Amino acid sequence: MNTKSLEKTPWPTVLSFLLPGFTGFVLFVFLPMLSTFLISFTNYSGGPNWKIVGIDNYLTIAKDKHFLQSMVVTFKFVVIGVSLQIIMGLLFALILNRNFFGQTFFRSLFFMPNVLSSVGISLAFSLIFHPTKGIANQMLEFVGLPDSPWLTDPSTALLTIIMVVLWMSFGYYMIIFLGGLQSINPSLYEAADIDGANGVQKFFRVTLPMLSPTMFFALTMCIINSFKVFDQVFMMTGGTDGGGPAGSTNVVVYDIYQNSFRNFRFGYASAESLILLLIILIITVIQFNNQKKWVTYDI
Amino acid sequence: MTSRIKISNILSNIIILITSFVVLVPIFIIVTAAFKNEVDIFERPAALFTENSGLFNFQQLEMFPRYIWNSIKVTFFCTVIQLGTASTGAYAFSKLKWKGRDTIFLLYLMSMMIPIQVIIIPQFMIIRSFGLYDTHLALIMVASFTVFGTFLIKQFFMTIPDSLLESARLDGAHEWLIYWKIVMPLAKTVLATVLIFSFRWFWNEFFSALIYLTSPELKTLPLGMTDFVTEYMVYYGPQMAAAMISIIPVMILFISLQRFFIQGITASGIKG
Repeated sequence: MNTKSLEKTPWPTVLSFLLPGFTGFVLFVFLPMLSTFLISFTNYSGGPNWKIVGIDNYLTIAKDKHFLQSMVVTFKFVVIGVSLQIIMGLLFALILNRNFFGQTFFRSLFFMPNVLSSVGISLAFSLIFHPTKGIANQMLEFVGLPDSPWLTDPSTALLTIIMVVLWMSFGYYMIIFLGGLQSINPSLYEAADIDGANGVQKFFRVTLPMLSPTMFFALTMCIINSFKVFDQVFMMTGGTDGGGPAGSTNVVVYDIYQNSFRNFRFGYASAESLILLLIILIITVIQFNNQKKWVTYDI
Repeated sequence: MTSRIKISNILSNIIILITSFVVLVPIFIIVTAAFKNEVDIFERPAALFTENSGLFNFQQLEMFPRYIWNSIKVTFFCTVIQLGTASTGAYAFSKLKWKGRDTIFLLYLMSMMIPIQVIIIPQFMIIRSFGLYDTHLALIMVASFTVFGTFLIKQFFMTIPDSLLESARLDGAHEWLIYWKIVMPLAKTVLATVLIFSFRWFWNEFFSALIYLTSPELKTLPLGMTDFVTEYMVYYGPQMAAAMISIIPVMILFISLQRFFIQGITASGIKG
């Protein structure tokens, strides 16, 4: 009867809707992505004199201790940061999923840091973590613990930045998990009650499996976001030398920025970029392939 | 059994209280230190006011009225443009039928994986070749689309039954008329959500400004705050005054419209 719905929309109409946004996407994301690939095989530095150098940049990277260190820093950041953000997010979602007075208030309060300016927040934490007289050290002294050098020592700087990122974003993952918890069918808990399950059993047999699609989403987002952390590193340990004490907070995105816009090694930075992107891509693909094993999409 | 539930409840409440304290301390520090002098900031961090408190830190931020104005300007244009491109894009991806639609949308989603630093060199070259280096237009251009916003609006558009659109199509209505008169009025909530997310993003946006702006009179608020890092200014009072200026508008927005923030995140999570 109405064959019109099966027809394809005429191209001029499609393009009139698509192009306003798609043009920007092609110009400022898609073409640059392809270009990064090409630039990584040159020694381009912004000037007119450049030549194709083949895989030289990649060979340099393979031998570069500085890049290797940057990779290690990034992986430390991702592994520790993601674990803490996901655990904290899940913990607070479970705690706030009970019905109690002030539930909405605390939900909003814990999420609020996520909407604030990371630059402004970084300034505040630079003051709080001031190595000699900051509030963090005053509190440590108050409970009788020794001072910490926080951002000024290679052994603590990265952890301090992870804490700031955690402060800003655990509420985001909490909201995601809360959404997941609230979409679990209550009758599953009733059935578990009838079968005589205790709280722990209900958590592992009902809550966690039913939450697995949300967990998959949160984990994917958290890993990708953690590879992107830049503002806090720039603001709290950027300074003149950059990358923190002894390069201990020099995550790869920060190193790419340094090599692009301070050292003007565009070719080298592009090769770094491509390796980083490849790593993110591989991790994401592995996650998508593995999800069949642990993510439940039933009910 | 009941006593165990009680204990876990008490434990939960203690965790909530401690976390509330940890969340609030940095905000308290910003808002109070902005009015304190350098000595009181370190000597009396817990005091709401001291006898020396005043507006002197704000008076030192001579360039900041300019930065604030720049931020308002860039944020306004970016937000409005994103709302337009995200809603038309979402319409094309959900309500129109064309070849390659799902492939291109997948490409859109995959681009969320890309850290901006990975594509910044060629993007910078393109912007420079347009003659837009060191202009606000550069920031507005690179932000003329939003994958997240398009995704969110598309998710909502897909819940609008096609039969609603079909009857209008059979009456000969053009897609733009259907988009404007039927679909958009239904989407007010999700549009408000995207508007708020875009506003928050651009008010806080730092990296593009860092790359594309050099003239002091063009700096946005987050970029203006790097004056403290790069020029090695060790006074904390003015820094906290600047931080306060940058977080207060978003805090007010969040407190009054938190429903939209929470909805936006939950919607992206459940259906993602």
